[in-house]
Amino acid sequence: MLEVSNLSSGYGHLQVLWDVSPRVSEGEFVALLGPNGAGKTTLLRTIAGLIQPWTGEVKFMGKQIGDLPAHQITRMGLSFITEDLNLFTGMSVRENLLLGAYTRRDKEKVKDSLDYVLDLFPVLAERQNQLAGTLSGGERKMLALGRGLMSDPCLLLVDEPSLGLAPKLVLLVFEALQELNRRGVTILLVEQNIGMSLRIADRGYVLEQGRIVLEGTNADMLENKHVKEAYLGIKRA
Amino acid sequence: MELSSLWDLVIIGILRGGMYALMAMGLALVFGVMNICQFAHGEFYMIGAYMAVFALKVFGLNPFLAILLAMVGGFVVGVLIERGIFYPLRRRSQEEWVMNTFLLTVGLSFVLQNLALLIGKARYRGVPTYWKGTIRISPTMGVSVDRVIGFLIAIVTIGIFGLFLRRTQMGRAIRAVSQDERGAMLVGIDLDKIHTLTFGLSTMLTGIAGASLLPITQAYPAMGAGPLVASWFVVILVGLGNVGGSIIGGFVVGMLQTFSYYFLGAGWQDTVSLSILILILLFKPSGIFGTEVKGILER
Repeated sequence: MLEVSNLSSGYGHLQVLWDVSPRVSEGEFVALLGPNGAGKTTLLRTIAGLIQPWTGEVKFMGKQIGDLPAHQITRMGLSFITEDLNLFTGMSVRENLLLGAYTRRDKEKVKDSLDYVLDLFPVLAERQNQLAGTLSGGERKMLALGRGLMSDPCLLLVDEPSLGLAPKLVLLVFEALQELNRRGVTILLVEQNIGMSLRIADRGYVLEQGRIVLEGTNADMLENKHVKEAYLGIKRA
Repeated sequence: MELSSLWDLVIIGILRGGMYALMAMGLALVFGVMNICQFAHGEFYMIGAYMAVFALKVFGLNPFLAILLAMVGGFVVGVLIERGIFYPLRRRSQEEWVMNTFLLTVGLSFVLQNLALLIGKARYRGVPTYWKGTIRISPTMGVSVDRVIGFLIAIVTIGIFGLFLRRTQMGRAIRAVSQDERGAMLVGIDLDKIHTLTFGLSTMLTGIAGASLLPITQAYPAMGAGPLVASWFVVILVGLGNVGGSIIGGFVVGMLQTFSYYFLGAGWQDTVSLSILILILLFKPSGIFGTEVKGILER
């Protein structure tokens, strides 16, 4: 579904990604892991069209999307939930959700998606008329996820959903992601919370200093010496 | 002072405020969505007035149709100018955007004024009245029907526009862009389209104002200066980019000017308004309803 080949990208004169080629197939739940500053967010931004690739290509559903602007990529069925969420804080929860369906014209189906999202996150249903800016951190994450789902995407890019959340809420968000994946949404998740991500993902990539240093299924990853030592803090004597 | 004349002043202030609100709303919109300090706003007011003159004198249309033509014309000219000037600039570089676009609008204002001078000559053009008659609003005062209808047009336009912004997906998209550009892109909103639309709508609102006030202020090339200052005054007073606040602000300024005119005499209304503006900015630099304005500092 998503094929990135030999991608390099960055900001201004600063190169962040060096020749990375991650792939995501339909129905998969893939985790992109790595420390701060490894280029995870940059990779998602490049895929979503917020920044242009320097070299290499990005293919989504068989089409080149490397030079398309973000709004057209969204139209094709990719939804990117950013780390800072980019909610419309001066608008109500409901308006935020409706804007998530901006690319869709069929009112009936939009209504279905709205019901689906409100069913998935009941707290949003209670707060429909509240301004998004007045929500708590956890509710904001759910609203961002909900808004991302309103376009009925086939691929969901999620950047650090656990950031700044209490452990209980992290669990809730992760469960929601798992549930979505079960319902058929392909997910590429960026996380620093590696233990938890590997438990729910099918497969993972480890990105360090702009390069993919490791890839494999979650079982392999959990057994990998480097992952254990560097990320899970398990050291064998 | 008698109660009845106080009442008269309030009415005049409100009638005046309607148009200020209409113009200030357009200004606030362009600033909020595009971060452009529009200093050619008065010229679109002028264009609206000229279009109405044209419709009346050349086509012999009735006043409502003339105002409608000015509305459409204001929109079309705004769209052309956005596509021709601001869009290419945004493509090329967004550095120093606020300053560059400010200078562009000032230049645009000169160009448009001189074009009007070239085409329309240095003459006042207008009509004595759209609709004859006066309406008695109190025992001591009558107001011309023109003013009342002009006010109603302003109110209806503001109402429809407010509904458009709140209830339609396109209106929501405009607000979305003003609140979070990246979020807007990611839900699939084409920023270029929304920018062009917003600019066109803002010049459309101004065009309506210019055309509806034609019997009161005749069309001439430099006629935009006064309304420009007044609407900037409103926008700064309430806080840059605040569309809802600019409606209230329009009425406040209308009232303020009418009262200072009455109590201090002609010529004092700007002094009083500007003094109050300075006081407000001294104590609340972001304006009465001011909140943080998107991106102004980083661009």
